[in-house]
Amino acid sequence: MARSAGPLAPPDPFAQAAGPLALILKTARGAVIHALNPAARAVGLSRGQTQADALAMIPHLDCRPADPEADARALRALAVWAERWSPSVSVDASDGGLEGLFLDVTGAAHLFGGEAALITQIERRLADAGARSRAAIAPTPGAAWALARWGMARRIAADDARDLLAPLPVEALRIDAATMRQARRFGLKTIGDLYPMPRAGLARRFRDVDGAGLVRRLDQALGLTAEALIPVRAPAKYRGWEAYAEPLTDTAGIEARAPGLAESLSRALERDGQGARVLTLTAFRVDGRTSEISVHMGRASREVKVWLRLFRETGFERIDPGFGVDALMLSADVAEPLAAHQVEMGQEAAARQAEGLAALIDRLSARLGEDAVRVASPAGSWLPERAERWRPALASAPVLVEGPATHERARPLMLLDPPEPVEAIAELPDGAPARFTWRRVCRRVARADGPERLSPEWWRPRADGRQVRTRDYYRIEDDQGLRYWLFREGLYGPEYMGGPDERAPSWWMHGMFP
Amino acid sequence: MPPLSLELDAAVPPPLTDLPAGLEEACATAPRDMAATLAFALARVTAQDRRGVGLALTRAWLNEHGRPYGPGLARFGRDEGVLLVVCRTEVEALWAMEQGLRSGGLSLMLGGIEGADLTQTRRLDFAARDGASAGVLLRTRTGDLSAARRRWRIAAEASGGDPDDVRAPGPMRLMAELTRSRGERPGVWMLEMEDETHRLRLADRLAGHGHGPVGRTARAA
Repeated sequence: MARSAGPLAPPDPFAQAAGPLALILKTARGAVIHALNPAARAVGLSRGQTQADALAMIPHLDCRPADPEADARALRALAVWAERWSPSVSVDASDGGLEGLFLDVTGAAHLFGGEAALITQIERRLADAGARSRAAIAPTPGAAWALARWGMARRIAADDARDLLAPLPVEALRIDAATMRQARRFGLKTIGDLYPMPRAGLARRFRDVDGAGLVRRLDQALGLTAEALIPVRAPAKYRGWEAYAEPLTDTAGIEARAPGLAESLSRALERDGQGARVLTLTAFRVDGRTSEISVHMGRASREVKVWLRLFRETGFERIDPGFGVDALMLSADVAEPLAAHQVEMGQEAAARQAEGLAALIDRLSARLGEDAVRVASPAGSWLPERAERWRPALASAPVLVEGPATHERARPLMLLDPPEPVEAIAELPDGAPARFTWRRVCRRVARADGPERLSPEWWRPRADGRQVRTRDYYRIEDDQGLRYWLFREGLYGPEYMGGPDERAPSWWMHGMFP
Repeated sequence: MPPLSLELDAAVPPPLTDLPAGLEEACATAPRDMAATLAFALARVTAQDRRGVGLALTRAWLNEHGRPYGPGLARFGRDEGVLLVVCRTEVEALWAMEQGLRSGGLSLMLGGIEGADLTQTRRLDFAARDGASAGVLLRTRTGDLSAARRRWRIAAEASGGDPDDVRAPGPMRLMAELTRSRGERPGVWMLEMEDETHRLRLADRLAGHGHGPVGRTARAA
């Protein structure tokens, strides 16, 4: 296993500021220096120093507030950008998670011309993007971390790790300041000083706090203990990428490269009998940022034509090329087995139709948005408007199956949601209406059927505390032959006694029958 | 009047039976007739065609007519489900309808689109034949030139009453007027929905082939 870690210089202000500059963080001990530029470091300032102390030393020190959250966001974005070299990139959690990245480049270095060339390329690309860095490749994250910060050598093989780490100071083991001071007190200056020490004694003196104790860090660096890293994004098993000597600067250039990427990814999927459910096209920009578009498919596919059409419908123009894109990656973020197409005669047509529907849902969702393409599903509620839910089709199973009609009683074909108020005149207070006015037109009732009484779930009070009242539904036909679904909300008697602060029962239009 | 006979059921004229692949237009006589217009399209999907039904509707259309209601749709026996595409504009709805027709995954694709011109309707008709699907434009006013194979005007009609309760509405009735067709005679039919099968049958011998417009379709014509 080979990994590399690179501490990243803080961005812009440092590059431009000629004089000493420090970022100040407010902590429990007051304002302290969070980061420094080389000029500030050169005059003897250090991280963790109080601002007052630093200003006493350097009165003209340029102090600006630090923003660790923005730093963390920027580093995470950079981690995604670094996926061009490795499917699994994690942010180094030590040191507040602000300084380093781990790239798992196992078996990937040859793609970039070997480990030395990979280190050069990483540092050069980061420099182009405005970030100074040091990269190192080692068999373990711990060793790579040590080398990137303290090592003369930048690459070590598994056999040499012990020897090459020996001369490095103990700080190189990712230990906190307290542990470091303690080690110094015992006269332990280099990693090599630790090798002859009895482990039991070391473990007793340096207690393992948060999995970052001295012994654990030593074992991790030497590969005696495994260390799990959490990548910023789940690594895609299938991915294909291309790097370009001349950065692509427009949408057309990106779109033109997509077919080649898709072809190779499709072949990789085919070898394993897999199809893609989710595809992401990631553009790596020269400025250290990424821009990406994804498409979701209702069923796994490795049809290049289908993929490209979905990407076109999602819009290649959603990728912002910035000042140029020097690498593109197409990854199958979700892949699943794709059965070989051996469909029996007769079922073939049905399978083709189902596929046509799934492809249709994908295309509509890609262009109009997932929320725009919906299928109905029954939901358990006494309220007719909540007895069905229109769910996004993409989120549901690709084959749309609707249960048998759950309602014995007639239900309208069109529903008004929310119901619209109606002025109605009924011969009896609790009877069917004789006339009603809806949308300003007065209609005479010719036939009526009802009531169908729907009662609220009285044991479930409404959140706003308002009383939920019974609904009496009527199927109405007016003298023009139009059929409606009306209801009266509230019962005379049990729910309305005629008190001054009570709401009188009211009539509502809820739907239309054919 | 004698009860409807089997011969009459069998004599439902060809335009009213199974929807062929291609584009039709169904125009609601008044906006309130839209439910009947939708039912007229749904009831004519070939019973053996188990593919789903798609609806491409704009938000404006949904505000005006309400939303298709699952429990009501389920009565048309579409056990393959209904796909609702909510579009911002009619242009989007046109595109969605064309995709739905061409995909071959739907038996019927409906579009709530008022403004489709000759070129657009021609595209829809091609797409429908490509996908062996039926397309029906749901409208509230007769458009201009159109490549639709048939144009209908639909109006809800008073039902014959529930046989068990004369005061209650009976099986739904509608008047369907074929105003334009390629190679078929225009005509007006009074149709009734069979509650069990949700298929249409002739409701009345008097409103048959060759008679002039009657009822509300005539008034609005």
